[in-house]
Amino acid sequence: MADRKLKIDVLTLDSVQCAACGYMMESIAALPKDVQEMIEYKEWSIKNKDSVAKFIELKGKVLPTICIEEDLVFESIIPQYEELIDEMAKRAPSQAMKERLISLRDVGFEFDKLQENLAKAGSGLSTRTDSERK
Amino acid sequence: MAKQMLIDAYRGKRTAKAPWVPYAGVHCAFLINEPADKMLKDAELLAKGVVNAAKRYKADGMPLLFDLSVEANSVGCDLKWWGDNVPSVTNHPCSSQTPAQVGLKMPTKDSGRWPVIYEAAKIAKPQLEEIDCAMMGLFCGPLTLASHLAGVRIFTDVYKHKDFAHEVIKFAGQIGAVAAQFYADMGCDIIAIVDPVASQIKSATFKEFVAPNCKEAIKVIHDAGKTSSFFICGDATKVMEDVCQLGTHGFAIDEQLNLVFIRDLARKYGVGFGGNLKLTLALSLGLLSSREDAIVSLAAGGQHGYTFAPG
Repeated sequence: MADRKLKIDVLTLDSVQCAACGYMMESIAALPKDVQEMIEYKEWSIKNKDSVAKFIELKGKVLPTICIEEDLVFESIIPQYEELIDEMAKRAPSQAMKERLISLRDVGFEFDKLQENLAKAGSGLSTRTDSERK
Repeated sequence: MAKQMLIDAYRGKRTAKAPWVPYAGVHCAFLINEPADKMLKDAELLAKGVVNAAKRYKADGMPLLFDLSVEANSVGCDLKWWGDNVPSVTNHPCSSQTPAQVGLKMPTKDSGRWPVIYEAAKIAKPQLEEIDCAMMGLFCGPLTLASHLAGVRIFTDVYKHKDFAHEVIKFAGQIGAVAAQFYADMGCDIIAIVDPVASQIKSATFKEFVAPNCKEAIKVIHDAGKTSSFFICGDATKVMEDVCQLGTHGFAIDEQLNLVFIRDLARKYGVGFGGNLKLTLALSLGLLSSREDAIVSLAAGGQHGYTFAPG
């Protein structure tokens, strides 16, 4: 198991105000516990200036977008569970992580830690122009 | 202010100028120095905020509220409240069972926050009439409400567990029809289905799951003699032809779509269209000039079925 986690950035308008953004965030936050151990993720609400910089850095085109390892993967399309796992596995930083992700392909979303996971990702917390998001 | 001009534009007719709707939402609370959560729970404050914003912005129409958690909350979803934002849904009662298995029931006028909204409408309606401003009722569309009920799994279920998805989204559409009737009873002049996540699916999925589950609500709106619309957010390019064919009088879009493309599509189908002042890039962040953005929108939209509004 590699030490480095798979990096996911979710570019949003604001996951509280915008339902499409909210469910893009939830698609990551509701990944099962075993997947959560392998990933790190953040919401970047374009309402604050740091996130505008992130949007430009990642060459974002539309909101919301899920970026995996800095690739724009799901642009204005909320992914199915298996699609997400497959796209993460393709970009896994190690063969061991790739195999572990693929082994979790049939598990499905879990909702018991949803709010905790969203809070960790900073969901809904940086939606002002002066919010810091680095 | 010109209520009839707005109704005409929403119905795809020519107007003397483009009418204007500032979908102020929880910004109404900011304008009266109140937190959003307090305003949304208090009928008098909600009416005060809406009427104040309508006057301040010289609006031709104003939503009574722009909060897509109302319907979900009225059938059992819990909410997280925010001082500067709309509430968010925190649990999904249908994440492992259908609405029937969970025992969910249709909302009544006494469910959730509906009594507050009824009371706010009663206070706001005569004041909006006085300034010739349409009162608008916006309710949560079937796919967004199904997402609130079942969680993000619904976007997998529309492919993998179609029976489950059909059951949840049909139930959501029926709740929408009830909400549409509530808003008609309150005296709303324009009633809109707001389904932001409907932009995040393929056209075939929209046709199979969203379009049929809007029909009941649209019939309720039209039977009440009201004007209907469908609001969608984000890059909805792939479903815009479907949106035009839903059967509503018109639709509204956000800043991510090109207004010239949208105008031509709306004219092709003879429906009204609204948008798309750049809420984020111009109005919020100031990266673009709001004035120039407004001029571009007004020039593109014209005076044929167009409503000038933030997107």
